[in-house]
Amino acid sequence: MGFVWHVALRYFRSTRADAHIRVLSSLTAGGLAVGTAALVLALAALSGFQNHLLADLSRHTPALQLELAGSGAGGAGDATEEAVALVAWAAATHGVSAVQELLYARGWLAVGASVEQVEVLGFEKAPPVWIPVENRAARGLIVPMAVAQKLGLAVGETVRVFSPRPGLTPLGPRPRTRTLPVAGIYRSDRADYEELPVLLPLEEAATLFAGGDRRLDVTLEPEAEPEQVAGFLRETVDPADATVIGWREANRALLFVLRLEKSLVFSAVVLIVAVAAFALLASLSLVLSSKRSEVGALAAMGAPPARLQRIFLALGALLSVGGAGLGGALGAGVAAFLDRFRVISLPPDVYIVEYVPFLVRGSDVLIVVASTVVFTGAASLLSARKASRLDPVEAMRSART
Amino acid sequence: MISVAGITKAYRDGEVRRQVLRGVDLELGPGDTVAIVGPSGSGKSTLLNILGALDTADAGTVRIDGVDVSASRPAALAGFRNRSLGFVFQFHQLLPDFTAIENVIMPGRIAGRSAAPLLASGMELLDQVGLGDRAADFPQQLSGGERQRVAICRALVLEPPVLLADEPTGNLDTASGEQVLELLGGLRRRRGTTMVLVTHNPEVARRCGRVVRLAGGRLTPA
Repeated sequence: MGFVWHVALRYFRSTRADAHIRVLSSLTAGGLAVGTAALVLALAALSGFQNHLLADLSRHTPALQLELAGSGAGGAGDATEEAVALVAWAAATHGVSAVQELLYARGWLAVGASVEQVEVLGFEKAPPVWIPVENRAARGLIVPMAVAQKLGLAVGETVRVFSPRPGLTPLGPRPRTRTLPVAGIYRSDRADYEELPVLLPLEEAATLFAGGDRRLDVTLEPEAEPEQVAGFLRETVDPADATVIGWREANRALLFVLRLEKSLVFSAVVLIVAVAAFALLASLSLVLSSKRSEVGALAAMGAPPARLQRIFLALGALLSVGGAGLGGALGAGVAAFLDRFRVISLPPDVYIVEYVPFLVRGSDVLIVVASTVVFTGAASLLSARKASRLDPVEAMRSART
Repeated sequence: MISVAGITKAYRDGEVRRQVLRGVDLELGPGDTVAIVGPSGSGKSTLLNILGALDTADAGTVRIDGVDVSASRPAALAGFRNRSLGFVFQFHQLLPDFTAIENVIMPGRIAGRSAAPLLASGMELLDQVGLGDRAADFPQQLSGGERQRVAICRALVLEPPVLLADEPTGNLDTASGEQVLELLGGLRRRRGTTMVLVTHNPEVARRCGRVVRLAGGRLTPA
């Protein structure tokens, strides 16, 4: 063992003997344990929630979207065909499992004297996976529950669909309209914050809403890398024809909020570690004060300032590593226990999950370790620099006064 | 071995500037022993600290063992102190968290010497001063004389060419003081160590080859 650790370990042992230093160093270790445990738990809870949320989101959102340009100006036509052909090629080479063309537009539903403005979504093969329709084979109008209730609709009844684009007839421009049966009604847990579309087959939608916005939803094979496929499509598709939007890009705002939330929680909880670092600073200052003449004697014997500094850095590490390690292990253990046995339950009609999930990520633990090292390192460095700057003569004289 | 020329040193005591040393000159060869005597507050310890590279002079030069101490940087001075100087402090300055033998070999640990030969040297020194059986004791378990003898062993463990001692018997009773003086005399004879001793004790001064008096900031033969 080198000189630095030899002295630091002996000073560490001596902190057990002095009552004041013992209390302060215990507070330091306890504070760091609580701080790191709280940090690990808070980050694990956020990671758990975010993991569930993102998994739910990825189930309900296509991996890639191609927004077809010019679709609002009277039909995407060639652009759609080219994009579909390209994606079909990508299917063979880059792990695309399915492509579906969608059409978005606004229109009205009318039942008797009741009229409701709605978002219309035309689907090509089956309703998109993110619309919770029970009977996906239904080939008529599929209406969200809220709209059905407003118009008093039930499955099997007919409803008139109006388009804002007029059709030209020998009698002049007339509203385009079609009477369609209600094939299904669906309910979504997103109804509170999102306008849900009325679904109808693409050929019907294209007839009624020729100028609607068209989009290709691309589903990938499980092993395919969305960013890689997006990169390939971006390189290949003419930006004038289509815009490629990845899953992350489409949910950029939400992902930003999730990151922000994690950063804010981390910033708040890390204050516990900061307070513990102050206790460490006080402990080391007390040790330095009690060892002042000895540090002076070491300097007089030829210990260079840098090595005196390292003694107190090592002592800071010894005083903090136990508490931080214990806290980290405790936090991870408690998180695993709470997750495994689903201890904290949640009302399922409010949250997407029935319990508070915890997920301890290596990257989160690394962040906790890094922040603990930064705070305790800074506290140790302050004392260590003070030790290295002691005037040996003055320091040794302090033993006599 | 030691060449001191024109050393001056002043302290500021509030608004008052106290000139402690006013052009001190001193020449010592290998194996020489000098006792510095003088009244309290005359600057004896200050001069010793400057010789030991623990304090800096305002002017003048200090050369020890070929090294210009007054022109060296702090990190270099630390190494120089470790290699070339042995200190015996008035209040022993032993480290209470370390045993007698650990205190003795501490300069060697600072120097990064390997443990086994260092321990052998340390034990040999403790045996020489009659403390071989107290090696595992902590300083608080030793008497004042025993502590000072351990401090002398610590000063000599790396066999420095120069030993600086500040009131080495100042805190000791007559018998312990006599033991320490015997030890220092024996070591000088065996190893040819150059010694500078600051003392108030006429008996200590009498045993040195040369005695100088520091008064009014200047050294004069006593």
